[in-house]
Amino acid sequence: MKGRGAGMEGVPTASMSAGDVAPGKYAVLVQGLTRRFGDFTAVDGISFSVERGEIFGFLGANGAGKTTAIRMLCGLLAPTEGEAWVDGFPVVAAPEKIKRRIGYMSQRFGLYDDLTIQENVSFTGGIYGLSRREVTERGDLLLERLGLKDYRRRLTSSLPLGFKQRLALGCAVLHSPSVLFLDEPTGGVDPLARRQFWDLIYELADGGTTIFVTTHYMDEAEYCRRVSIMVDGRVVALDSPARLKQQTGAGTMQDVFLQVVGR
Amino acid sequence: MFRPIFWIAQKELRQLFRDRALLRVVLVVPMIQLFVFGYAANTDLKNVRVSVLDEDRSEGSRRLVDAYYASDVFVPGPAAGAPRDLDRFLLEGKTDAALWIPRGFSEDLARGDPASVAVTVDGVNGNVAGRVMGYATAIVRQESLARLEKVALAHPGLAARTHRVDADSRFYYNPELRSRHYMVPGIVVLIITIVSAMLTGIAVVREREIGTLEQLMVSPLTSGQIIAGKTIPIVVLAFLELAFATTVAVLWFRLPFEGSVLLLAGCAMAYLLVTLGVGLLVSTVSATQQQAMFTLWFFLVFGILMSGFFYPIENMAREVQWLTYLNPFRYMMSMVRGIFLQGATLPDVASDLVPLAAIGVVTFTGAVLRFQKRFT
Amino acid sequence: MRRILALARKETYHILRDPRSLMVAIIMPIAMVILYGYAIDMELSDLPVGILDEDQSPASRELVTRMMSSQFIVDAGRLSSREEVEPGFRRGRFRAVVVIPRGFAESLVREPVSRVQVLIDGADATTAAAVDNYLRAAILLFNSGIAAGRPGSAELPMGARVRVLFNPQLESDNFIVPGLVAIVLVMICALLTSIAITREKETGTMEQVLTTPITPRQLVIGKVLPYLLIGSADGALVLLAGRFVFGVPMHGSWWVLAGYSLIYLLIALALGLLISAVAATQRVAMIMALMATLLPTMLLSGFIFPRASMPWPLQWIGQIIPATYYLEVIRGIMLKGRIWFPLEGGVMVGMALLLMAMAVKKFETTME
Repeated sequence: MKGRGAGMEGVPTASMSAGDVAPGKYAVLVQGLTRRFGDFTAVDGISFSVERGEIFGFLGANGAGKTTAIRMLCGLLAPTEGEAWVDGFPVVAAPEKIKRRIGYMSQRFGLYDDLTIQENVSFTGGIYGLSRREVTERGDLLLERLGLKDYRRRLTSSLPLGFKQRLALGCAVLHSPSVLFLDEPTGGVDPLARRQFWDLIYELADGGTTIFVTTHYMDEAEYCRRVSIMVDGRVVALDSPARLKQQTGAGTMQDVFLQVVGR
Repeated sequence: MFRPIFWIAQKELRQLFRDRALLRVVLVVPMIQLFVFGYAANTDLKNVRVSVLDEDRSEGSRRLVDAYYASDVFVPGPAAGAPRDLDRFLLEGKTDAALWIPRGFSEDLARGDPASVAVTVDGVNGNVAGRVMGYATAIVRQESLARLEKVALAHPGLAARTHRVDADSRFYYNPELRSRHYMVPGIVVLIITIVSAMLTGIAVVREREIGTLEQLMVSPLTSGQIIAGKTIPIVVLAFLELAFATTVAVLWFRLPFEGSVLLLAGCAMAYLLVTLGVGLLVSTVSATQQQAMFTLWFFLVFGILMSGFFYPIENMAREVQWLTYLNPFRYMMSMVRGIFLQGATLPDVASDLVPLAAIGVVTFTGAVLRFQKRFT
Repeated sequence: MRRILALARKETYHILRDPRSLMVAIIMPIAMVILYGYAIDMELSDLPVGILDEDQSPASRELVTRMMSSQFIVDAGRLSSREEVEPGFRRGRFRAVVVIPRGFAESLVREPVSRVQVLIDGADATTAAAVDNYLRAAILLFNSGIAAGRPGSAELPMGARVRVLFNPQLESDNFIVPGLVAIVLVMICALLTSIAITREKETGTMEQVLTTPITPRQLVIGKVLPYLLIGSADGALVLLAGRFVFGVPMHGSWWVLAGYSLIYLLIALALGLLISAVAATQRVAMIMALMATLLPTMLLSGFIFPRASMPWPLQWIGQIIPATYYLEVIRGIMLKGRIWFPLEGGVMVGMALLLMAMAVKKFETTME
């Protein structure tokens, strides 16, 4: 499996150095990224690239190291070794520049339950340094598109989960990030709401935003242009869903995942 | 640079005003504290019950009893019929002190022999008992002196022989010696301490609990902006409460305010560095609000006990006294009391303000650094 | 019964694995005993007093020596003018200044009464009164010295023989340590219990447990049992430390004390349960427990501040605080050796029954 994974399309080999590629070409470029906590290696020298406008699925079992990798890419955690570039900026040297260019939405949504929809939106705009006018204009547009306009004065705590999810997405893209990180964004919501959510994701990707998403739903993995699968801190498979199925001889992404992870 | 701070501050205030339970803690609880402490935490000696057994039943003995009841301290306890009643009243807690004037008291007086009465005090509360003893004997002494002067007036020849020294006592700042004057400024310190430390501690931990802290971390906000946005509303609130508590102290409790408001505000600013720093530090080591509250509470209880708020620091064991020099509450208590009552000026409070500000700068910087480390 | 024990065991793990709960449950009582027993002494001593001797005569120096020989007073130096008095007060250099006026020695021979001035920093009323008393006592000694020189002159016609019962050395430990038991029991039982149960409600594990065959009543008993044990252990710890480390006497019976303490413990637990039945979140529970039980117990029950000095509304509130009665009982047993407390005991039993009934009822209605 290891040999096969290394030969896959789009996986840069570890021997590649920053001089060989222009980091600005990719939305995300990862080279030999490693993070250790004491004796434990959470992320073990992973390398891959994500193109601009791509929907990239980042799969793996619980504890495989996905969250650690995302935290490093978002500039929240310093890598022990290796380097990564997000939107052309190195995560080690310029985490602050990266933070302006990314959006982040987690499973926990990160919304203030005791603020209204409008207040959550304004606050997010405010901390990203948008002017008051920009906040109003973009916020109105966004709420309209998310179908939340009629509820803008409602307290977030009173909203159904699907609404909160859309609101969280809205807050994450209010400042028009070029890369959007979604960490298990659809946990706990019903299939219809998930469907609607992915429609929004496609819309964003069509608009040129790169989507970097982790999920445990294998039907969602099918929506991605390419997926990677992590096992024990390493990326062991990376390709488009169709080719992964072909390579492993599995019928669904579910089977692909079980084969790769359960090996 | 400053706009994000404003947004965070606005959000904090919004959340505070929407959380009724917390708002009540922030606004109502300090008021209750101020009034209940103001009235309850007083060490004035009042309404001490004294049971009297007057076996002499003479004019002289009645005068002595009247002198007891005329004082501000003593009130009549249950009347006794025999000496053993007095002991029983004391045992059962029905009276606090007993005065026994034995038969023959007035005869001794008339004869010029030393006449004596027996005073028995319930010693359970040693502190109060000691002072009751003092008052009880002082009344007998005063009656003695009054009698002596009467004798001297009647026999001028004797007067020349009664040479004595007497003291005129003058009490500065608090001529009526109300213990409340000392306690209330302490309560003012207590209020701003609890509000600022607790709110800061909770403000950060709560965001960690609900997952919004992570959201802030991926935003371009710097940790400095987050700290400023979160603490500025608390500082404003603390100053409002300081102003409110000071007003109540002066208008309701009739405390003097001799010093400068500006100096009080300056000292409060240095002090808030400490309380905000402590709140932040606790928030970096706590995963849940409950942990944060327990930790803060632990430090507050001991900080306040050893600040001189209830118990004068001079009374503590020598080693403990040294320990109190590390206690920021100690300096603030002493400065606020000085500013309220004695009109202390900057040079007067310098010996407190300098160490306090030093502790404040160290604590706050440490908290910010630690917060930054946890944050990125 | 086995279910209850299983719950109790689970709760014990919770406490043992949460360092902050342990801190409040175990370290706090120990630290409080040490602090109160060792560090805090209510008797004022080492009070700094300054002297402004305008007379500079042998007689004035004699008086100064008398004053400084008091064990409660320390010499804070000499002043050269009255201008130094107030700055000295403000900077805490001295608590009082004795001014001996010019001509003191002469007046002592000529006049029946010679006066000195005692200027006292009154900010702290209690300390101020104490300084005044100590200085007056020293002057009295000086007077009897004069009297000794000229027999009969300063002897007073009446005197009081003073006797102190129950605590002849006026030790503040004897007063405070029994009181601490009341505080610690409320702290452990009301505060920790209410937070522990509310936490279960908040995190939803309460619902989980209720889907099992366990009845609400069993649940409550199981949760409360460990706190009852911790509370008893803490109370015993404080008492034993007081008795054997700080020498608080025990004139009564340990068994009688244990009996009354158990009633008080039940009251505190019932309060904790009531709070947890009403409060929705841990934060509210903590605040309620502090405001409704701990603070009133510390302030209004007579733990430190004498109730007799309070205005009547606070005295009245004090009468509905369980600790007011328990303090009377525990001090009565330990220091006076009493056994029967018809009033206090009756009120406590009544409170225990009433609060327990209310807590169980409230709990059953909120559970459904």
